Amino acid sequence: MSLLDDPKRLGEHVADFRARHPKKPMRQEFGAIMLALAERRPDVFAVTADLMYATGLVEFGARFPDRLVNVGIAEQNMIGVAAGLGGAGKLPVVCGYAAFIALRAVEQVKVDCAYNETKVILAGLSSGLTYGVGGPTHQTYEDLATLRAMPNTIVIVPNDTVQAALAMDAAVEHPGNTPIYLRLGRGPEHVLTKPGDPFRIGRANRLCDGDDVCLVANGALTFEAYLAADILRGEGIAAEVLDMHTVKPIDREAILDAAGRVDAMVVAEEHSRSGGLGAAVLEVLEDGHDFPVARIGLEDEYPPIGPMPDLRHALGLSGEAIARRARLLLDRKRSRRGR
Amino acid sequence: MTPSKGHNKELAERAYRVRRNAVRMGEVQGQGYIAQALDIADVLATAYFHAMRYRPEDPNWEGRDRFLLSNGHYAIALYAALIEAGIIPEEELETYGSDESRLPMSGMASYTPGMEMSGGSLGVGMSIAVGMAMGLKRKKSDSRVYILFSDGELDEGSVWEAMMSAAHHKLDNIIAVVDVNNQQADGPSTQVMAFEPLGQKLEAFGWFVQRIDGNDLDAVVDAFDAAKDHKAPKPRIIVADTLMGKGVPFLEAREKNHFIRVDAHEWQLALAALDEGRLA
Repeated sequence: MSLLDDPKRLGEHVADFRARHPKKPMRQEFGAIMLALAERRPDVFAVTADLMYATGLVEFGARFPDRLVNVGIAEQNMIGVAAGLGGAGKLPVVCGYAAFIALRAVEQVKVDCAYNETKVILAGLSSGLTYGVGGPTHQTYEDLATLRAMPNTIVIVPNDTVQAALAMDAAVEHPGNTPIYLRLGRGPEHVLTKPGDPFRIGRANRLCDGDDVCLVANGALTFEAYLAADILRGEGIAAEVLDMHTVKPIDREAILDAAGRVDAMVVAEEHSRSGGLGAAVLEVLEDGHDFPVARIGLEDEYPPIGPMPDLRHALGLSGEAIARRARLLLDRKRSRRGR
Repeated sequence: MTPSKGHNKELAERAYRVRRNAVRMGEVQGQGYIAQALDIADVLATAYFHAMRYRPEDPNWEGRDRFLLSNGHYAIALYAALIEAGIIPEEELETYGSDESRLPMSGMASYTPGMEMSGGSLGVGMSIAVGMAMGLKRKKSDSRVYILFSDGELDEGSVWEAMMSAAHHKLDNIIAVVDVNNQQADGPSTQVMAFEPLGQKLEAFGWFVQRIDGNDLDAVVDAFDAAKDHKAPKPRIIVADTLMGKGVPFLEAREKNHFIRVDAHEWQLALAALDEGRLA
């Protein structure tokens, strides 16, 4: 019996794979990233809306009290103040929750930052389902759609805490007058990235080679895609894994290169199936492709309130689900070809 | 617009020319936010020719005072002042609102010299002013941030968020002017959403508040001077009560003058009315 069809063996395999990849929590790591950045760059300001503790800025505030701006629970003002700091030649990093940056204050992101051509780094923590117990008000599955659609933005979804640090460095060095959104998690997640791994905005990283199916993912689901590739290997299926950490500008070249080789593509993200990474990949393929593309993401309904791991599992955002979907696409495609 | 004490003759002439520039731009398109430009001309003339520090030949000079236009639809008024200040050449006035112009109907910082922010959506400027004032202070700059917004913007919650934070951070380098012309798209501002007693509200928010007749040049000059000289570590705001269409009697009298359409022959009448006021 194949691994995917043997629940007991699959469960052990997955548990073992996960155990070999330790986890790190984003909140604490983000605080360390900000602290290191502030030490290196005297122009860096942290701007937050009553989330100093929640975004790990306590030590930052103690060390650099003049460079921590807490505006209270006022996200619109938070983005505007950050834009003003940017206009005065500072480098503001908005430290907040994804939901309140990308939805509550979305117009300020557009007008004050993007349209006004002001560089502001927007660090949106607790994105996706990572604050599952906060419920749909604090879960965020619309941010890629809103921020990707507005001109003059960069949208990055780091896959773990180490890549978040690399992405932050890249964002700081980026020369454009553009808001740069980093979609970040919350609690402990598996770490795939090593310090010193390549990170270039707009350039996907290929984590596995394979010509049968291409698995495209970002954020925490990159690890799940990586796990799926491992499972598929046991099925005799060679999966390429693309870590598409930058959703905008998307790496067209990497997608089109894969499209020329593989028989199927599966895109996985912790975002609505509308408007996120899956949509961005399909936009690249809009001139035509002769293989099936499946988008794994959130359906058009509010997820329940609950702990993140349960939600991800229940909503099919797992390595097992990605592997099953890939196998299904390939089976269908190949049986059609065989006819 | 005519100074009561008579020592602001030069400013009165500046204000006249700002109004004239605005009306000429309105004529190019046949319509526009002319009544607002006329009501705020005395404030703009005082800001640009009495209060502010800037270099016309170098609009991005680091030592300049910043002027933020939160009510982006007043762009026509600000262009009129920027032209008078020599930051924008006068001949560009003829291009107002046309496709290739640096003077679009709503101000864009990326196009227009002297324009510090791209506005248009109401209620965002004050937050930007707060961040900018904070950034300038941290740079040890003594530049000030001037910000003009309108009474209609007081409906926006974000304005109050921003005003609360300006006082909290003791941003005494902000000089705000709110244009109380009591007119917004759906009618008199105080009827659309009651905001009085405005002075008391702003004081309660921790601001140094002065309320003046925004079309009395002496009062405007005194208010800017007092705002600059004030010692308390508070942001400053001038509540300027103004008259829509000021200086052109038939526009002052028009009931719906939020967005004015004027017949072709009336532009010359408007300019003639301004000339008459100038001589008087």
